[in-house]
Amino acid sequence: MLELAQFGAGRIGRIHASNIAAMKGVRLRYVVDVDAGVAARLAAQHGAKVASEREVFADGAVGAVVIASSTDTHARLAIAAARAGKAIFCEKPVDLSLKRVDECLREVEKAGVPMFVGFNRRFDPSFSQLKARVAAGEIGAVEQVTISSRDPAPPPLAYVKVSGGLFRDMTIHDLDMARWLLGEEPVEVFAFGEALIDRRIAAAGDVDSAMLLLRTASDRMCHINNARRAAYGYDQRIEVFGAKGLLRAENLGASTVEHFSARGTIADRPLDFFLERYAAAYRAELAAFVAALEARQPMPVGARDGRQALVLAEAALRSMKTGKAVRIQ
Amino acid sequence: MIRFALFGAGRIGRMHAENLVRRTDAELAYVVDTKPEAARALAEPLGARQADAAQAMADPAVDAVLIASSTGSHADLSIAAARAGKAIFCEKPVDLTLPRVDACIRAVRKARVPMFVGFNRRFDPHFRALKERLAAGAVGKVEQVIITNRDPGLPDLRFLATSGGLFLDFTVHDFDMARWLLGEEPVEVFAWGAVLVDPRVRTEAGDIDTAMLLLRTASGRLCHIANSRRAVYGYDQRIEVLGAKGMLRAENLPPTTVERFGADATSADNPWPSFQTRYAAAYAAELSSFIKSVERGTRPEVGPEDNRQVLVLAQAALQSIRSGNPVKIKTKG
Repeated sequence: MLELAQFGAGRIGRIHASNIAAMKGVRLRYVVDVDAGVAARLAAQHGAKVASEREVFADGAVGAVVIASSTDTHARLAIAAARAGKAIFCEKPVDLSLKRVDECLREVEKAGVPMFVGFNRRFDPSFSQLKARVAAGEIGAVEQVTISSRDPAPPPLAYVKVSGGLFRDMTIHDLDMARWLLGEEPVEVFAFGEALIDRRIAAAGDVDSAMLLLRTASDRMCHINNARRAAYGYDQRIEVFGAKGLLRAENLGASTVEHFSARGTIADRPLDFFLERYAAAYRAELAAFVAALEARQPMPVGARDGRQALVLAEAALRSMKTGKAVRIQ
Repeated sequence: MIRFALFGAGRIGRMHAENLVRRTDAELAYVVDTKPEAARALAEPLGARQADAAQAMADPAVDAVLIASSTGSHADLSIAAARAGKAIFCEKPVDLTLPRVDACIRAVRKARVPMFVGFNRRFDPHFRALKERLAAGAVGKVEQVIITNRDPGLPDLRFLATSGGLFLDFTVHDFDMARWLLGEEPVEVFAWGAVLVDPRVRTEAGDIDTAMLLLRTASGRLCHIANSRRAVYGYDQRIEVLGAKGMLRAENLPPTTVERFGADATSADNPWPSFQTRYAAAYAAELSSFIKSVERGTRPEVGPEDNRQVLVLAQAALQSIRSGNPVKIKTKG
């Protein structure tokens, strides 16, 4: 039985806790949150105990930690967990600063503990099947990847201000998908960013709409389009074009019911929002983490992936600011 | 009744000729080709006559010319037709160089004849419906446009070597669609090109076969274009427009809607395999638009000025590939 401690009892924390509860071979031992009441409620729900950080790291029975607290605490908690010899499941991003991510990487590698970074989209059943079929050679060599990623509505302005900006906060998922699907590291990034949706986002120094291009050393190309608002729902689509065909994963509706009416045919809008759209992905990523731990296999997505996505996000930001394409070292 | 002289008895010329003779408001009088026997073979079964260029231009009974000859002859024929006072339908592109396009624009303005340039995709019923709904405000203000344009297979390498290159030959259609759908002129272009389909595209034709581009307008509207010279599943022609209130999308068209539900998978028809089949309705509709504008004396829906702007974008894309950075467009009235 693998004993887990979870940091963070907010929205994403609740998802992970209930996924842990539903899994065999793992038990949620502790819940830690800055809000003691929230921690107590979630702990009680799953038969866990509320604990302090120090208690968690001192308890030899804890095999792994799930870090689902606010972004600014991820790196500190991951470093403390590494020093205490715990395996780490960390929500993305590890940190908004590359320097902190590198510190974290050094500590994790020094301690030799496994670390998983929660790029959940890789574990979506449709996207993971798409990737498996690309890898199996179904469409031959990959030539072009197109990723459409649009939120249903902009987040609160207060969140925008601390998010690290569109590229580090939102595009980071797409940059991870791009690396994963291209099958090669991007060596160059170009980005246009605009504030088309809400002028207050521009006033906060951020953009709400973007189009990016990435290129690998062998000239595979990727396009990413982002918007903080899609009136029709959470838009999450992928296409991979290869020498022998195209693989495509479309949006998912809440149901497959279509209404054929006098005015046209009406289908469900795509699932809102990420908690619903990626419910299966959240379950699968945790299962992949636990399976890798048990089998003593390398993590399917780790801290180095988190770092590389951040490198690309920073390159995109520099490209947007300078108006030039940016090469990746 | 508009009487036409057709220049060019090749693949496109034949298609236009067949569309013309189906109409009740138009008549095909002459077919002109550098190979008179080809012109005759096309003309006679359709009740028209073979002629040389001078004859066709000199006949006052000819109201309009349809120029579907090789690209290098478009500008000269357009200028000659303008001087002869004929209305002009010219296949795209008018020319691969700006000075020659400008010479055409001057000639038709001076002669006060209408000139239409065959950017056929604007007349595809699906793209047109999309544009009409966009214009009617169905999705609010345009924010992002995505154009996917992939050929089913690599053309002849000898054709590629004389085509002007991917951007001037192929992406021109997408530049035109981008301008039309963005509703504003692009002011900046960024492009990457590559040879991924066949190395001979570079070694024998000096061209590229794969590209991704981004365009931006002054108010920050964004557009992405994806191109490839080879999509094994057919002629990939799709458009998406994201607006403040939703998205409009036009998908590929299959020849039939039949789907097979098998033990292993569900399968459907591939998209139409060629531009002639995919855009059959568009070719008929563009001719209709031209004829109506000639009859009514209205301005053609798409003219040489549009071709000029598309050429400016294509040249900017080429420059972007060479410099590795985006290129700003100087707007010209």
